[in-house]
Amino acid sequence: MADLAISTQELIKTYGRGSRGLAGLDLEVKTGEVYGYLGPNGAGKSTTIRILLDLIRPTSGTVRVLGLDPRTDGVALRRRIGYLAGDFIVDGRQTARHLLTYLGNLRGGVPAARIAELAERLGLDLDRQIRGLSKGNRQKAGIVQAFMHSPELLVLDEPTSGLDPFLQQEFVHLVREARAGGATVFMSSHVMSEVQQTADRVGIIRDGRLIAVESVESLRAHAVRSVTLTFDGAFEVADFARVPGFSGLAVAGTTLRGRLAGHTDELVKAASRYTVRDLLCEEPDLEEIFFHYYAPPEADHVAA
Amino acid sequence: MLLRDVYPKALWDARRSLPGWTGAIAAVALMYAAFWPTVSSPEMAGALAAYPKDVLAAFNAEDLGTPQGYLGGTVYGLLVPLLVAVFMIAAGTRGIAGDEEAGTLELVLAHPVSRRGLALQRLGAALTEMAVVAVVLFAVMVAARAPFELGSVSVGGFLAINTQLALFGAVFAALAFAVGAATGRRAAALGVSAGAAVLAYLANSVFPQVAALEWTRSLSPFHWYLGGDPLTNGLQWPGTLALAGTTLVLAAAGTYLFTRRDIAG
Repeated sequence: MADLAISTQELIKTYGRGSRGLAGLDLEVKTGEVYGYLGPNGAGKSTTIRILLDLIRPTSGTVRVLGLDPRTDGVALRRRIGYLAGDFIVDGRQTARHLLTYLGNLRGGVPAARIAELAERLGLDLDRQIRGLSKGNRQKAGIVQAFMHSPELLVLDEPTSGLDPFLQQEFVHLVREARAGGATVFMSSHVMSEVQQTADRVGIIRDGRLIAVESVESLRAHAVRSVTLTFDGAFEVADFARVPGFSGLAVAGTTLRGRLAGHTDELVKAASRYTVRDLLCEEPDLEEIFFHYYAPPEADHVAA
Repeated sequence: MLLRDVYPKALWDARRSLPGWTGAIAAVALMYAAFWPTVSSPEMAGALAAYPKDVLAAFNAEDLGTPQGYLGGTVYGLLVPLLVAVFMIAAGTRGIAGDEEAGTLELVLAHPVSRRGLALQRLGAALTEMAVVAVVLFAVMVAARAPFELGSVSVGGFLAINTQLALFGAVFAALAFAVGAATGRRAAALGVSAGAAVLAYLANSVFPQVAALEWTRSLSPFHWYLGGDPLTNGLQWPGTLALAGTTLVLAAAGTYLFTRRDIAG
């Protein structure tokens, strides 16, 4: 299936000592999309990624990446992948330039100008020994090596851990550029904010199984927002109680608070009868939306 | 360009340690060779005659009266092979297990590099380092023949023993490599190889003093390396083939097991 960059069926990985890595994972990542792979630590995110790269072998199940089997076509496959681990570990007794030249050569050569361009964008000093670099600067070298050959598929494992806000922003730009250039991006994280800026779809993994897949758009559309309206004077609560999807109303003086699900239209029309001094509509973090997926099953009904 | 592939990169990474090991091993050999004119005096011969033969045998030093016997006992019989074994065990361990435990192997294997290609190139780099040491040692000893009165040892004899020394080192590089490649554990690679080196030494020099244990000698890489006295008699094919064969078997087994297992994360 050419429209799937990554697909797994019934993927199971059992480690020695009986611990479970994956318990029947069915994953589908479309070509050209940015897929956020979310789950708490230990859910199986890294296990999945390491199987995609053929660093570890599944106990059972099938994997296809870019139409290839990582187990048998690993070399051809990895030529088309850029990989970044959250913890980018390399021998510190070399300069970033040496390291990146070497890694580029393993891929058949990456122009020095391309490395220099990426390094400059991220503010990475190529001529310092890596051991003298801070964790953030080391991670920059990791980002450069993942993107420098403009791969068809980017596999990013908790990519922005330890990056400062400027760098996180630059990273978001790089991901968007890669996507605009036709690349597929598979990005794991245990925090929603890391992927919500770039992801088209989000998959949630828990205990080695995919438990939900949603487009970020529809997540947002169905999201419950918390709304605060401040009026110039008195108002009728009843006017707002009629608004569909608006609940949990609370009045404090000239301020009305509530939670709105669905469209804002009805609420705005209801409010237009009054002089609105302030309107605050807070989009909840996707983290909040997904809270019930994370929470243990028996706690599903506890209000967030 | 030294950053082209896994093999040249491994040699590039050894650019500081290799000259160090080469220099140290050559210096030790040269120092002992330099003592020969002193040791070959009649007084010394008398002093050595007082030692029990078994003790001398335990140190591969049964015949210290000729340059061949002296070099075979001191330089090539004890210190140099010991240093070579340590050097090659370290190099073989570093190839996979060391890299894997440091967490740096994963990045290279996430590139378009095959497991087999990586394993063989890393081992190849260790064996290349061994070859460099053997060639330099050969050149140094040949150069030392005239100044240190070692003329009765032929150039061919030095060539033979350095060749067998290189293969002796290769066995330990391949052993450390194989254990590391199979397990991914540095301590296992170092421990098994160091244990094997000690046993190999004892099996060649100490165990055979007990008649019932004499058979152990034929299993010892030390015996494969020194047996038949290559310094005097030239290249010894049985030992040479045993060393080369063991190296190949270990390299193949280690590589095979490496291609079949999970890489530690």
